[in-house]
Amino acid sequence: MGWSLTKTINTLRRELDALTSFQVVISYIVLITFLVIPLASILYKAFAGSEGFTLTFFESMFSDPRMVSPTPNLNFIVVEETPYYTYIGIGSKGPNFGIILNSIFVATVVTIIDLILGTIAAFIMARYDFPGKSIFRILLVVPLLATPFVNAYVIGKVLGRAGLLNLFIQNVLGLKNVIIEIAGLPAVILIQSLSFFPIVYLNALASFINIDPSMEEQAENLGAHGFKLFRTVTLPLAKPGIAAGATLVFIFSIEDLGAPIGLSGAFGHGLHQEVMSFYIYEQFKAALSLELVDPTVYAVAVVMLSIAIVGFLAIKKYISLRQYAMLSKGGRWNPRVRRPEPWKTAVIYVFLILLICVAAFPQFGVITLAFTDWAQSTLPTKFTLEYVQSLFEKGEVQVAIRNSLTYSILATLMIVLVGSSVAYVVSRRKVFGREMLDVLSTMPIAMPGILVGLGYIVFFGTFFAETPLDPFLYPGTLLIFTYTVRRMPFTVRSIFAGLQQTHVSLEEAAMILGASRARTFLTIALPLIAANVIGGALLSFVYCMNEVSTSLMLGSLDDTQAPITYLMSKLIYGSAAVGTVSITAALGVILMTLQITAITLSNYILKQRTAFLGV
Amino acid sequence: MVRVKLVNVVKRFGEVVAVDHVSIDVEHGELFTLLGPSGCGKTTTLRIIAGLEYPDEGKVYFDDADVTNLPPYKRNTGMVFQNYALWPHMTVFENVAYGLKIRKLPKEEIRKRVMEVLRLVKLEGLENRYPTQLSGGQQQRVALARALVIEPKVLLLDEPLSNLDAKLRVEMRDEIKRIQRQLRITTIYVTHDQEEAMVLSNRIAIMNNGKIMQIGTPKELYEHPRNLFVASFLGKCSIVKGVVDSYTGDEYIVVRVGSRKITGVVPASDLKVKIGEKAIAVLRPHEFSLEPLKEPFNVIEGIVESTSFVSSHVEVKLKFEGQKIIVFLDPEMDVPPGSPLKVYVPCSSVKVFPAEMEEAAYSRELRY
Repeated sequence: MGWSLTKTINTLRRELDALTSFQVVISYIVLITFLVIPLASILYKAFAGSEGFTLTFFESMFSDPRMVSPTPNLNFIVVEETPYYTYIGIGSKGPNFGIILNSIFVATVVTIIDLILGTIAAFIMARYDFPGKSIFRILLVVPLLATPFVNAYVIGKVLGRAGLLNLFIQNVLGLKNVIIEIAGLPAVILIQSLSFFPIVYLNALASFINIDPSMEEQAENLGAHGFKLFRTVTLPLAKPGIAAGATLVFIFSIEDLGAPIGLSGAFGHGLHQEVMSFYIYEQFKAALSLELVDPTVYAVAVVMLSIAIVGFLAIKKYISLRQYAMLSKGGRWNPRVRRPEPWKTAVIYVFLILLICVAAFPQFGVITLAFTDWAQSTLPTKFTLEYVQSLFEKGEVQVAIRNSLTYSILATLMIVLVGSSVAYVVSRRKVFGREMLDVLSTMPIAMPGILVGLGYIVFFGTFFAETPLDPFLYPGTLLIFTYTVRRMPFTVRSIFAGLQQTHVSLEEAAMILGASRARTFLTIALPLIAANVIGGALLSFVYCMNEVSTSLMLGSLDDTQAPITYLMSKLIYGSAAVGTVSITAALGVILMTLQITAITLSNYILKQRTAFLGV
Repeated sequence: MVRVKLVNVVKRFGEVVAVDHVSIDVEHGELFTLLGPSGCGKTTTLRIIAGLEYPDEGKVYFDDADVTNLPPYKRNTGMVFQNYALWPHMTVFENVAYGLKIRKLPKEEIRKRVMEVLRLVKLEGLENRYPTQLSGGQQQRVALARALVIEPKVLLLDEPLSNLDAKLRVEMRDEIKRIQRQLRITTIYVTHDQEEAMVLSNRIAIMNNGKIMQIGTPKELYEHPRNLFVASFLGKCSIVKGVVDSYTGDEYIVVRVGSRKITGVVPASDLKVKIGEKAIAVLRPHEFSLEPLKEPFNVIEGIVESTSFVSSHVEVKLKFEGQKIIVFLDPEMDVPPGSPLKVYVPCSSVKVFPAEMEEAAYSRELRY
């Protein structure tokens, strides 16, 4: 065995030069400390009783009718006749299967809806050419613009008792005595479907565009056409991308806090709050210290974590970092785009316009809320800048903006450092643990933010009390790290794609000439992928600014250290005070503007339309 | 100037043995070529010499120093990559100066040496251009200049001409030969083009499936191939199967093919071809003529199956005892398909191998 030991030592000495050692070590430290251990500590809490391993928390969770209802309420629609009017409630009194099943029910329906909408829209955009296509291309991703909580509030305002829908029914249709209300889980499903369908759309679009045209041409040559061609060649080839998008939608739906909190602003308490994400958040906010948290919360968190991990493994099976790079390479061939016949064009227009009108409505609603008095009346009556102005006057708004900017900038710097390390090691080095790094750095996309936030409170709150990492004293510091880990995938992917497109011989040539690895990395690799670094960093930055779930978990611990999104949730949640909704909407407009600027810049720098994942 | 030695080098990629116990010994100032079909392990061998791959077994020596585990940046080799690997974010000058900057030479010295080497590769005046503003041939010269300017111990060239068009390839080939002979730098050259290898090299190692088939000067390899792979890889050939009939006194061997006989030579002394056993005769198409020869010769009579015109000659497919032989004739010749044809080929040019080597033949269009 002597020779193989020397061989191992030789290999290690060769591969672990100064740069590689630094990159591997820093990547692992950051990912393990700020992602793996916090999530693992939730597992520990869920299974650790006062006398060692226990399943009591799970037993009590599954026997609690609020969690899993033995007699689920299936009243999708209720009709109530009163002497004055007929009330039709969709979702307001049911269904209710219990919190855990509700989340799974909502996520399943949302995924199916988005799978259908997203795939159809992507196929149209990938294969047909029609006037105004570039406008549709932009409008189709509008729902991705983050307007946390306010978008849900807008939907609530439209579908509620005194909303636009009833105004339409009573005044236009003339049914003066009918009141329709869409609330509860169906409202959550509606909001999530609308805001998440671009995730399936973008992934499916990238997949369709990246199919080698000769594959379809060969099938046509052999006689396949129309739906047969789509079903037998196009769809199977695009399936990995579409499946990955759908899985992400499922996970995003499970962990979403925006819809339940936003609907709480519009409807107050109700069935829309009976989902896992809201339950965990609410329980934590209500408890004043770690000791007072009901351990069932951890059991629920483990259920959510299991779903996320299974989902992540499924995505991993379909797409690894390697394939991501392939996906974003688009446009190498003459794309198969054709002009449809007039009747088809008409169908396409009707479909896209309806889809966009409905899906982008919340974003336009948010803008209306911010610039008019819509929050106080059924219809907006006058234009006003008072809410935007108040952003510059209110102290807590100033503090929140400053906090968000500080955390996001610092996090982006860390992301560039760690992200470029991860991407370089995974793409260029053959060191031990490279595969693991690939897995760990893509994982945050699928890990629910509330769980990460919860894990931080549990882990750092227990072991780092009274230190700069104490979540109860310095939640802001931890927010920087959670942003770093959660938003790193954008930068890692971008840099990785850049490295994949840069021939490795460019670096080898430098090493042959005597440059060390570190010098090669700094003088050859980095300058060549500078655009990818900047583009990725911009995306990461803007998604730090928009981060919702951990911001809420950690922000709730100290208002003065909380970021913008926490302030928005607070304003919406306590929206009884006049004008707070409009101020939240104004903040939403700022976030949207930032996001549009960053994405435009990033696309310009990267010179390509990357299938960014959103949220 | 340095001597490069590989001893029993093995490199595996998973299950595939890319380099299989390769030993070579490249002399001072020699231009040594690794020649073989794609996937034969020649590029991997070159990358092992460069330090870009490390062998699983075996040793690499530069003179007497064991460099097996030395990283590429400590080996002081110059390498030209197949795709040139010019850095698009640097000018020609910066590309060439890179290695000198790393060696911390003074500015004036760098400038002087870069200009000198650019003159050597005939690129004066282009130092401020970016690589994308250069033609393929010019990019090639920059890559060569960048490798040469550091005065490397060994120059490594990985299919440097494969991205050039046919005419430029010949021009650059002569250019590389001129510069190599002028600088007398130990050079290891990788190519799949046997003509390129023949013209450039002092010695050639022919590789197949990770193994070295034979090492020798171009002439040795052509005239005394040690096996059927080498014979069939170097130059075009026809393969005719038969049974060994007899040995003539003067070192010729007679192979019976159907009712006829072909006389040839066994090219290497260690080849065992026994009377009564199956054998393979390799005939080169350009050795044929229409007139009887002064030296001992074979007469081949066959029926013309098809002809094709290839500028410098006519390629004639001849049916001979149920097998096919390719013959190159003067382009003026008019040989209609179906007509009989009688051609002559010197016995010394016909190489005979034992039949069990048949599997090792390099398959290409002329193998029948």
